[in-house]
Amino acid sequence: MLELHGLSRSYGEHRAVDEVSFTVPDGRMVGFVGGNGAGKTTTMRMIMGVLAPTAGEVRWDGEPVTRADRVRFGYMPEERGLYPKQPVLAQLTYLGRLHGMTQSSARERSEELLTRFGLGERLTSKVETLSLGNQQRAQIIASVLGDPKMLVLDEPFSGLDPSAVDQMSALLREHTANGTPVLFSSHQLDLVDRLCDSIVVLHAGRVVAQGTSEDLRASAPLRYRLVTTGDTGWVRGAAGVQVIDLDGPSALVQPEDEASAERLLTDAVARGGVREFSRIRPTLSEIYREVAA
Amino acid sequence: MSTRAPWTLVAAREIQVKLTDKNFLVGTALTLVLLLGAMFLPALIGGGAPSYDVAVTDEAATGVVEQAEESLQAADEESAITAVDVADRVAAETAVLDGDVDAALVGEPGAWELLHDGGAPTSLDGALSEAVSASAMAANAEAAGTTVADLTAGSDLAQVDLAADDGAMTGPLAFVLGFAFAMLFYFAALMFGMQIANSVVEEKQSRIIEILAAKIPTRQLLMGKVLGNTVLAFGQLALIAAVSLVGLTVVDLDVALPGLTQAILWYLPFFLVGFLALACVWAAAGALASRTEDLQQTTMPLTMVLVVLFIIGLYLEGTWQQVFSFVPVASTFVMPVRIIEGDAAIWEPVLALALALVFCAVTITLGSRLYERALLHTSGSLSWRRAMSLSKD
Repeated sequence: MLELHGLSRSYGEHRAVDEVSFTVPDGRMVGFVGGNGAGKTTTMRMIMGVLAPTAGEVRWDGEPVTRADRVRFGYMPEERGLYPKQPVLAQLTYLGRLHGMTQSSARERSEELLTRFGLGERLTSKVETLSLGNQQRAQIIASVLGDPKMLVLDEPFSGLDPSAVDQMSALLREHTANGTPVLFSSHQLDLVDRLCDSIVVLHAGRVVAQGTSEDLRASAPLRYRLVTTGDTGWVRGAAGVQVIDLDGPSALVQPEDEASAERLLTDAVARGGVREFSRIRPTLSEIYREVAA
Repeated sequence: MSTRAPWTLVAAREIQVKLTDKNFLVGTALTLVLLLGAMFLPALIGGGAPSYDVAVTDEAATGVVEQAEESLQAADEESAITAVDVADRVAAETAVLDGDVDAALVGEPGAWELLHDGGAPTSLDGALSEAVSASAMAANAEAAGTTVADLTAGSDLAQVDLAADDGAMTGPLAFVLGFAFAMLFYFAALMFGMQIANSVVEEKQSRIIEILAAKIPTRQLLMGKVLGNTVLAFGQLALIAAVSLVGLTVVDLDVALPGLTQAILWYLPFFLVGFLALACVWAAAGALASRTEDLQQTTMPLTMVLVVLFIIGLYLEGTWQQVFSFVPVASTFVMPVRIIEGDAAIWEPVLALALALVFCAVTITLGSRLYERALLHTSGSLSWRRAMSLSKD
């Protein structure tokens, strides 16, 4: 289990990461969401020890994380990089060995994963000759070599086509199934919603929301959509109801509570011609826009 | 699980990448070919020992030619001057003008003439002149009632080569060897230094550095890089030295070999320490750049230092030469020259090496500190001064 406690990082006056605390439990996949410059990459670099925190600490299984722990973490930095001029298999073997694997097991495992993700024919190709999507696959493979205890992946799915996303998320699922915690950042909120067990939203260096997507949805304001055959302008006068949007026969409203919502429905039925009265389940993007506003 | 230290893996990768790099292999092969060419070409173009044909009209001329051949053979026993009999002076002139012979010797004792077509070869001219003057002198001495030996008694200047005793070399050979040593170090330091800087910036530019820095301590990365390239530089040097020694033996310069071996044995540690002293500074220069394009700027101070030291090594003399032979890195250029010239006492190279080692420890500490600080600084190139003041992240 990975825990962050009040992790902060300042560049001069600027606080890039401000008192960030969250947990990545064993076997869970946690999505790390936030706009550009929110501090995701800085946080991940601090987790990996590539950058020193100004304050706070990273704990692994309850103890301050050590270099020995981090060597067993799989990491995929935001700024992608493999040696452009080295063949992909040789390179993954090298990285596997730096991870502490033996020559033969590093080679076998790299070859197996490359073949599984459709790069079996390109083992001896130089990295620079691979397509960006294939370089990305190789990069993800590099991060899972050596049976990592923890995966920290910065934007692992950017630039991948949908089938590659499926392949890669299946690979990550195998790791969580073995109890490995996975933290990954993404801009693709629908993907995070689909893949992750829980979500941490970062905005301007601070955690503004966290929990499972159900938790986040539950914390979102209660909203209903009312569609009738006539005009819905009358809802403006309804008690305990705030109108968010009004468009002829359709209204988006935010009742104070369920009781207000029920009163609104009763009124509507009394006026006749109700076509729809539905609870709005916000999408993750809507929640995100709300909290990151 | 393997127990190999990360730096050995890094070093092995550096070496393996270089050994599979076509440019490096072709470059090395080309160097060796040029080296062999430089040794064998003069012998091939010179066509070996000189051989001349000289037209003669009588016995007396034949005698002079034979005497000239003897003196020529004293210098090079394979050389030859052949007397070609012709009928008379007219026939001799024709033979010279037709190019059948190199020259013709006509006339009589006391009045010899050398006929040639625009100038006789210098060594032939010299040998014949010497023979003519010797026989004239013998005749004159006899006429005066004395001998050549009496006439020339006490006219020799005895040569005593003091350097020859302690196995040192003098003259052009010493200069050539000193030049070769300086040149080899200059190129190795520049080429492999650039290689170190390049491989550092390659990791920065491709951002693989973040993966590496998360996996292994950056000091191990630096160590592997420096040692891998040192092995390559030293290996290439050994190859060049071996080819040169074999080549020299084949082209008959092996007379100088004993002194040469001693000079080379001293040169190797100076090369190694000099190379190591700069290696970490090169790595720092690489880390200061964030793209390959910035390298020229960040490595400029190093290249300048090498050029200056190279020139100093070749042209310094006297006290300044002695002073610089103790200055670290400069000593790699200067001390081997002093050893070749035989004017260094045994403690001098030992002290110079010790000083270079101390300096080496300093540059490794400073260089690796700069390297670690600048390594993850990926936006724009840093100045040396700014990198020094960077806080350690």
